[in-house]
Amino acid sequence: MAVKIVTDTLSDITEDLAKELGVTVVPLYVRFGEEIYRDRVEITSEEFYRRLVSESSLPSTTQPTPNDFYQVYETLAKETDEILVIVVSSKLSGTYQSATQAKEMMEGKCRIEVVDSLSVAMGMGLIVIAATDAVKAGANLDEATQLVRRAISRSHLTAYFDTLKYLAKGGRIGKASGLLGSLLSVKPILTVKEGEMAPLTRVRSVSAGIDYLCNYAAEFSNIEGMAVEHATTPDDADQLVERLGAIYPKERIYRAVISPVVGTYSGPNAMALTILEGEKK
Amino acid sequence: MSQVKSVAGQDLRDMFSAAASWLEKSSADIDALNVFPVPDGDTGTNMMLTMRSTMDEAYRAPDHSAAGIAHAMARGALMGARGNSGVILSQIWRGLAQGLEDKEDFTAADLAAAFQKAAQIAYKGVSRPVEGTMLTVMKDAASATQAEVDAGNEDVISVLEATVNAAAESVANTPMLLKVLKDAGVVDAGGQGVYTILEGALRYLRGETELMRLRKPQIIVSELPHVATQPQSIAIDEVPYGYCTEFLLKGEKLDPEVIKKKLLRKGESLIVVGDDSAVRIHIHTLTPGNILQFAAKLGTMHQVSVRNMDEQHQDFLEMQKERMPATDTAVIAVAAGDGLSDVFGSLGAAAVVPGGQTMNPSTKDILQVVESTFSDKIIILPNNKNIIATANQVQSLTQKKIAVVPTRTIPQGVVALLAFDYEAEFNDNAEIMEKALSSVKTIEVTRSVRATKINGLKIKRKQPIGLLDGELIAVADTNIEVISQLLTRLDIGKAEVVTIYCGEDTEAAEAEQISTSITERYPQLQSELIRGGQPHYSYIISVE
Repeated sequence: MAVKIVTDTLSDITEDLAKELGVTVVPLYVRFGEEIYRDRVEITSEEFYRRLVSESSLPSTTQPTPNDFYQVYETLAKETDEILVIVVSSKLSGTYQSATQAKEMMEGKCRIEVVDSLSVAMGMGLIVIAATDAVKAGANLDEATQLVRRAISRSHLTAYFDTLKYLAKGGRIGKASGLLGSLLSVKPILTVKEGEMAPLTRVRSVSAGIDYLCNYAAEFSNIEGMAVEHATTPDDADQLVERLGAIYPKERIYRAVISPVVGTYSGPNAMALTILEGEKK
Repeated sequence: MSQVKSVAGQDLRDMFSAAASWLEKSSADIDALNVFPVPDGDTGTNMMLTMRSTMDEAYRAPDHSAAGIAHAMARGALMGARGNSGVILSQIWRGLAQGLEDKEDFTAADLAAAFQKAAQIAYKGVSRPVEGTMLTVMKDAASATQAEVDAGNEDVISVLEATVNAAAESVANTPMLLKVLKDAGVVDAGGQGVYTILEGALRYLRGETELMRLRKPQIIVSELPHVATQPQSIAIDEVPYGYCTEFLLKGEKLDPEVIKKKLLRKGESLIVVGDDSAVRIHIHTLTPGNILQFAAKLGTMHQVSVRNMDEQHQDFLEMQKERMPATDTAVIAVAAGDGLSDVFGSLGAAAVVPGGQTMNPSTKDILQVVESTFSDKIIILPNNKNIIATANQVQSLTQKKIAVVPTRTIPQGVVALLAFDYEAEFNDNAEIMEKALSSVKTIEVTRSVRATKINGLKIKRKQPIGLLDGELIAVADTNIEVISQLLTRLDIGKAEVVTIYCGEDTEAAEAEQISTSITERYPQLQSELIRGGQPHYSYIISVE
């Protein structure tokens, strides 16, 4: 029986793509005051970003419960005996714990591997996609797990932020805290390093940000996968994709919208580029 | 302005009440000045809480005389004093109360005498007074007040202005007196607190309450290179700090002097202050039990606090580690003007060497900063064409690895610093930063020092002149015209961000006008107005 793959909504894998890939996506929760929504299930990205900028108090987020994962495992266990779970960096969310606890609740009814992606958004999404490709090609759980572990260090997420306000308030700033407190208005460019946010550089405008991301991508000679995502600025993201077309076939670039839970920290106007480097032959 | 010759008791209360709120606004900034192992982990917060208790009691004063209010304040301060700085502050109020004894209201001369007394009593409370702390600041402020009164000034407000100015100078001088402050590149936190309180009182008397609501106190920056974001190197000190032990002792016929003598050898940083019915004790000791046992025999203990300072120190070290930059390369910039210095600091420069046009720093000045910066790999941004050669000399004088990015102007320095890549290797980074220089154009506006003819321009003495990337190409009768001429010389259609740094003597209204006119003329530009505080140049403008 083929391995089933599970991830969380922070992978930014859209519903359509999930269906196509046969991946189950477990939602995190986003909370505005007393109201709790399941990420991308009960609140759309559009609705979310509208409220993010208009409401006075910032939203907060919560990991899925162990039971959320348990339900998914139970359902999948009817069709398979091997499940590979790829979750968001354990340094950014407690999702890994819930997924692991749920595995213990299964008491060996099914073989389950939970892997900490040490990344977020499409930085994790491209790893999930690579895993589904391997499973389709016949990989078993051990082989797919090995592949995912190797892919982690080849996945490079670079993000343009309009502001670090949301990341700082949400307590996810990590090593990028040194970029706070600038007297000039600057736009930080961050990456994910060893599972947490880390600074790369700063620019002063969106177009300089797009330039930086393009130059960043041009440094790679062996690109296996690429993804571009935005929070609220699809036009800027389109422009970025257009430019990236010079180094990588445009039609193969995955497009996504930054999910509400990630958006809680990225804030509006953020954009991210992920490059999955090819394995050295 | 009419002179204020006498101030009523009620105003005494209100001015320090306003001062307390003023202090409250900067308590976090003052906390940030703390230098371990100087006792007192959070000076700003401690002083603020002490001031709250002080003023709460002031509102409960039995009458509205200056003496009554001052006594209530002293009482409130003693009861609510927190930490080393709070206890010393309570002594200041106690001295003030003694100085204002029997006064219904007070004159400038009364205030001078009361400040003198306050300084005197503050020194007395501390077993081993240290210079370069709030004690020094209070003393200097008091002497300046006395000097002003002796010079015949009777106006309370202008006398207090002299007090506040002297306090500011004294705060700026604290790093010269106390090495730990110098090493850390900060001024004394307690001294800053005293200054802020005096400044708040002055602002109240001047009727600036509206402004106090909107603004926030300034932290004084000393003459030392401004070390903005990087923590000083962490010395692991093996000597244990022990326990910071603090409490209020209530009883009858207590004698602070006798208690002080008894405790003198029991620990460090001893402070014993109070009267015969209440004494506040603060000591750092390895055996807090003995202290408490001793005190229990004399009366009842209140607000007892015993904190493990080694643990605090450990937390402090952890915190410093977390604040460590993600890279081992440090950037040092040369800049003149407090505003520019802050800009570089806020963008991550480890240190700023003061200097610029007509005040070029020496190689030694730069070398000193290089050596005191805790990284071994340093990139220098000279930010002036006459300083590049000086900066290049540094490499031959140090063991550290040095790269000089030849920035010729402040805007070039800023874009270079912004382009700093946290993941890049040292040499690559210098290259990346240098590459970024071409993305900016620099406009500088100054005044001609003499009449001359250059580049086909006829220039009169003191006429505003404009430079584009170092070349003099515009002259006009106003700064606005000069800037307008220069902008037309640029390919501004491609520009996105304009940053205007105003000089130390630039009029705010004119700067606003220039900023607005640029946004009106070029709506696609994002324009930012920053106080650079640089000498000589009324404007430095960066076009990116």
